[in-house]
Amino acid sequence: MTTETLVSEHPSQGRAFYRTQVFRRQLILAGLMVALFFSLCVDLALGPARFSLGEVIAALFTPDNVSQQARVILWDIRMPVALMALVVGASLSVAGAQMQTILSNPLASPFTLGISAGASFGAALGLAFGVAIIPGAIEYVVPLNAFLMAMVTAFLIHALSLRRGVTVETIVLLGIAMVFIFNSLMALIQFFASQQAVAAVVFWTMGSLTKATWPKFWIALGILATVMPLLARHGWALTAMRLGDAKAESMGVKPRALRLEVLVLVSLLAAVAVAFVGTIGFIGLVGPHIARILLGEDQRFFLPGSALCGALILSAGSVISKSIIPGTIIPIGIITSLVGIPFFLFLVLNHKKASW
Amino acid sequence: MTSRVLKTALAAFTALICTAALAEDITVTDITGRQITLDAPAERVILGEGRQIYLLSVLNPEDPFAHVVGWREDFSQADPDNYGRYLARFPDIGALPTFGGFKDGTFDVEQAAALTPDVILMNIEAKAATEDAAYDDKLAGLDIPIVYVDFREDPIEHTIPSMRIIGKLLGEEKAAEAYIDFAEAQMARVTDVIERENPERPSVFIDRAGGYSEECCMSFGPGNFGEYVTLAGGSNIAADIIPNTFGTLNPEQIIVANPEHVVVTGGNWDAYVPGGDWVGMGPGADMERARSKLEALTGRTAMAGIQAVESGNFHAIWHQFYNSPYYFVAIQRMAKWFHPELFEDLDPEATMQELHERFLPIDYEPGYWVSLNDD
Repeated sequence: MTTETLVSEHPSQGRAFYRTQVFRRQLILAGLMVALFFSLCVDLALGPARFSLGEVIAALFTPDNVSQQARVILWDIRMPVALMALVVGASLSVAGAQMQTILSNPLASPFTLGISAGASFGAALGLAFGVAIIPGAIEYVVPLNAFLMAMVTAFLIHALSLRRGVTVETIVLLGIAMVFIFNSLMALIQFFASQQAVAAVVFWTMGSLTKATWPKFWIALGILATVMPLLARHGWALTAMRLGDAKAESMGVKPRALRLEVLVLVSLLAAVAVAFVGTIGFIGLVGPHIARILLGEDQRFFLPGSALCGALILSAGSVISKSIIPGTIIPIGIITSLVGIPFFLFLVLNHKKASW
Repeated sequence: MTSRVLKTALAAFTALICTAALAEDITVTDITGRQITLDAPAERVILGEGRQIYLLSVLNPEDPFAHVVGWREDFSQADPDNYGRYLARFPDIGALPTFGGFKDGTFDVEQAAALTPDVILMNIEAKAATEDAAYDDKLAGLDIPIVYVDFREDPIEHTIPSMRIIGKLLGEEKAAEAYIDFAEAQMARVTDVIERENPERPSVFIDRAGGYSEECCMSFGPGNFGEYVTLAGGSNIAADIIPNTFGTLNPEQIIVANPEHVVVTGGNWDAYVPGGDWVGMGPGADMERARSKLEALTGRTAMAGIQAVESGNFHAIWHQFYNSPYYFVAIQRMAKWFHPELFEDLDPEATMQELHERFLPIDYEPGYWVSLNDD
């Protein structure tokens, strides 16, 4: 804070400081984008089939001129996984960022509010007993169940939060109650399910990008592309929310209405991500914190920053998950935490200012 | 009146003496190397795993449940096709007391003790949980020994000793030896030829429960079906990649390895994934349907352009061979797929037939395998 008070004594100096700040943040965003592009390229280039860089590029840009093997591997196996990592990472991270913002709680994430737990429960119902909440759509039983349960959880929290006297803290508590309820229900399912089904449920809860397909990618991308502008529209209001409800209200923000709208939007993001790739816990919590440390609270930078950080962590995780034992893929949920935590600790411990 | 009481008492006493004289102390070494001394033959047995009935059936095909006083309920869930056939033949088994699993902590010691078994047969994968909950100490306090057997963790190594142990416990050593001779002879029909001819080993991908989930692809490392492939003269593409028995392959790896054969394991999983893409092999399977589902599995991304799809060396086999004492039939079947010229005289179907006729209480019904190369 000291630097800022010092420079703000001179208006022109203050303007210059602001411009440097903005420029610095734009640079960081650009840097993240470059890193993300690099990670995507590595993800596409690496795999058990040892294609040379030339072959990869040829398969990418002139798919008709390469062997069927190279075309299938790049376009049907590597590409959906690599791109899904970006979209899911961004979705989860943005969901976590806005939950932290609207709930004024650094521990908020799709997991804290039970949205992921609800999704896991829905998926487990499908995996263990073949129960379809919407009958008929056999192929999409698991993701549909997961999605529906996640939305049910979000709306339950929404409905409860509409009651009189419900504060932000109560919403977080409700979320944690949801997590425990769904965890118990999950345990109950596993208790009754067959061994084969339990293995499937466990595998699903570890999260895996290998479930990615082109249609799923387009759906996830479509949702992300729809939700991001809607959130960005509220950028200034959300920034103001971080000052507390009273101050935000004095600036003309309607905290309750905003909170509900954002809650629904981020639930949608989280539900789609969890439905398609299983539970990947860590990104929704840590992605936004990394973005906040690097870029601050200003939503103009924080929102895209969170998306980029989340995408980057998951993309790097995807590369590592297939490199540890070449030929197998270690579930990404295990990897992301192992990769992201050291980086996160480094940032937290080296950051002079308190970021929350 | 008094004399009648006296007579009954006397009769009971005589019976007791007789039983005591018949039963003698024996010592068996179980699969985990523990030495257990108990009165044999055991009259009352609890099966810690329902599918142990596969072994008991061999020993007494006329009445495999004669000594079973309680069992775990896994048989009906994991192998519904065979369970139905057993139930039709022995309707009483529907009323046998059932237990939860030892592994998930749902086994009820009190219920077990109330059934006063002479011995509890347990699968080795339940050992850690059993000792963790100190069930073994509690049961030992009640004079109920636990004997560990195994035909799943390492079927090749452990099935025969397990058979021998149970034979000894039940006083059916002769039946046990007859089965062991049969199993070893059937195994030798494959392994002798492979050893003698040392043929070139085709590369094989085992698609564990292919189509069960949309993900691709679960497989076996060096153990279990992986070992079956090696014994049958194939080379498992996942042997050096998956560190343990079970694991998942990167779909790309399958395309790169370009296997000459694909063996999909399948079973009737209608209870778990209704209408899924799995291939429903098992006794009495609908072969037309199995074949068309197998055909559909060739269209998955991970199968794009591999040799097995082009040559039609794309097979499905009963998944439960992975944990049954009939593993040698699976090995015969695969050997014939991998080396048709070497095993022209080998007829796995006939082996299965003989197995059922000589050793099992139920009749053989085909449906355990299908191949896209079948005419």
